[in-house]
Amino acid sequence: MTAIREPKISIDGVTLVHVNEERRQEHVALENVSLDIGEGEFLCVVGPSGCGKSTLLSAIAGFMKPWTGEIRMNGKAIEGPGADRGVVFQEYALLPWKTVLGNVAIGLKYRRVPKAERERLAREYLAMARLTDAADRFPHELSGGMRQRVAVARTLANTPEIMMMDEPFAAVDAQTRLTLQEELLRVWDEHPITVLFVTHSVEEAVFLADRVAVLTPGPGRLREIVDIGIPREIRQWDSISTDARFLELRDHVMKLVRDPGR
Amino acid sequence: MTDATPSRTHATPRLAPSRAQVRGAIGIAVVFIAWQISVWIIALPAYFYPAPADVAAAFVDLTLKGILPSYIIDSARRYALGVATGLTLGVMSGLLIGLSRFWSRLLGPVINFFYAIVEVAWIPLLVIWIGYGFNTILIAISYVVFFPVLYNTLTGVQTAQKTLINAVRTLGASRLQVLTSVILPSALPNIITGFRVGAGFAFRGLIFAEMIAAGSGLGFLIFDGATTRQTDRVVVGMIMTGVLWLAMDRLFLRPLEMATIERWGLVRAKGGGV
Repeated sequence: MTAIREPKISIDGVTLVHVNEERRQEHVALENVSLDIGEGEFLCVVGPSGCGKSTLLSAIAGFMKPWTGEIRMNGKAIEGPGADRGVVFQEYALLPWKTVLGNVAIGLKYRRVPKAERERLAREYLAMARLTDAADRFPHELSGGMRQRVAVARTLANTPEIMMMDEPFAAVDAQTRLTLQEELLRVWDEHPITVLFVTHSVEEAVFLADRVAVLTPGPGRLREIVDIGIPREIRQWDSISTDARFLELRDHVMKLVRDPGR
Repeated sequence: MTDATPSRTHATPRLAPSRAQVRGAIGIAVVFIAWQISVWIIALPAYFYPAPADVAAAFVDLTLKGILPSYIIDSARRYALGVATGLTLGVMSGLLIGLSRFWSRLLGPVINFFYAIVEVAWIPLLVIWIGYGFNTILIAISYVVFFPVLYNTLTGVQTAQKTLINAVRTLGASRLQVLTSVILPSALPNIITGFRVGAGFAFRGLIFAEMIAAGSGLGFLIFDGATTRQTDRVVVGMIMTGVLWLAMDRLFLRPLEMATIERWGLVRAKGGGV
């Protein structure tokens, strides 16, 4: 469905290498991957553990530099971490000593948005994540699912150009995960933004994505990019789980993941 | 534990004395009674082995003459300034060493070496270099506070979660903002622990330094009382040190520790944000 619009992120012939300086070891996580993420696109990257999908995300976030190749955003090479690329981590990464409101407002605080204004904005995003009542609670008082909704609200409140999510729902129970996936699509609908979503769950990827990029393991290479032409209107688990297109695409992606080929 | 929503624990309000406080008071009373009985049994002259009544009289006398209040103020001022100096230097050095490999390698061994030299060993030398009085005592106290604070700060800095640091960097935090909004709060429970340990050491250090290097203060009262055979004054000084420490521990150090544990410790016990 989605032809590539303006690429927001261009990954161009990128090889990523983990270097362990102490033990003088090098480990190639990702090899010669080229991939564009379009403006406003929801792209999922799937692959088995060890395929370098999280490494790719941290390179786009600016935590590591490509060994070869280049990663650009809006045509400019990425130099380091920045507020224009928000990240939602699997382990939530909320500040335990700050309230939910304080956590959501923190990015605005870093940018010196006045207190009243940033609290107003934070409450707006909390309402979006249906967390209004939790504003004054601390992260340890919340369930895993609620914590991750806080993390999403925190990232979006900071108005990045792309939101990257690193297996964000892997630590919550199966039931909550389905709800969070639907919630995410609802929020994404209200706040359109480019999303890069990394997961090992094929179902999750096909459910969420405009396109699914499949990586093969050790070292990660791009196997195939699959267009998910399922209309957004039917993307709820109740209706989609019996949808023929969904099942077909899921099986197709599953096959790519399980049988890396070549 | 993902879906549990634990309620916050509240400390019970301390209006009425708790059972623990009543028992603590009984313990102290027993010590005084045993002391009085031992005086009756031993029956030595008061200048040699004073009774509680003698000590109480000395206490009233010292208070009315204004000696005791002024000594307590002197001791408290030396102590507060020494602890504050040691705390500040300890936290700053802990951050420097914890955050920079260069400084860690440069200063690590030196600091380890000096840690092994107790402050008491420095006092004679300090008296020669700086003389009797405030500065020598200030240095001795800062010195004892410095090390536990430094080592605990270092531990705190090193245990700060990498994910939290990365998270705030993607939210646009500058280096300084990473320090103030993640690393310092992460290290705070450790810093408090180091502070509490250091504050205890410093109290002993204070009394000892005042015995050698001061002309006032509780340590001087004890030492001077002994040389002039005013043992009742010696005991007043000893009791006052104990009372002051108890008061500070109860009214300041413990509440401070509890406040941080309530907000941080509970979370840490459950494994950070996970």
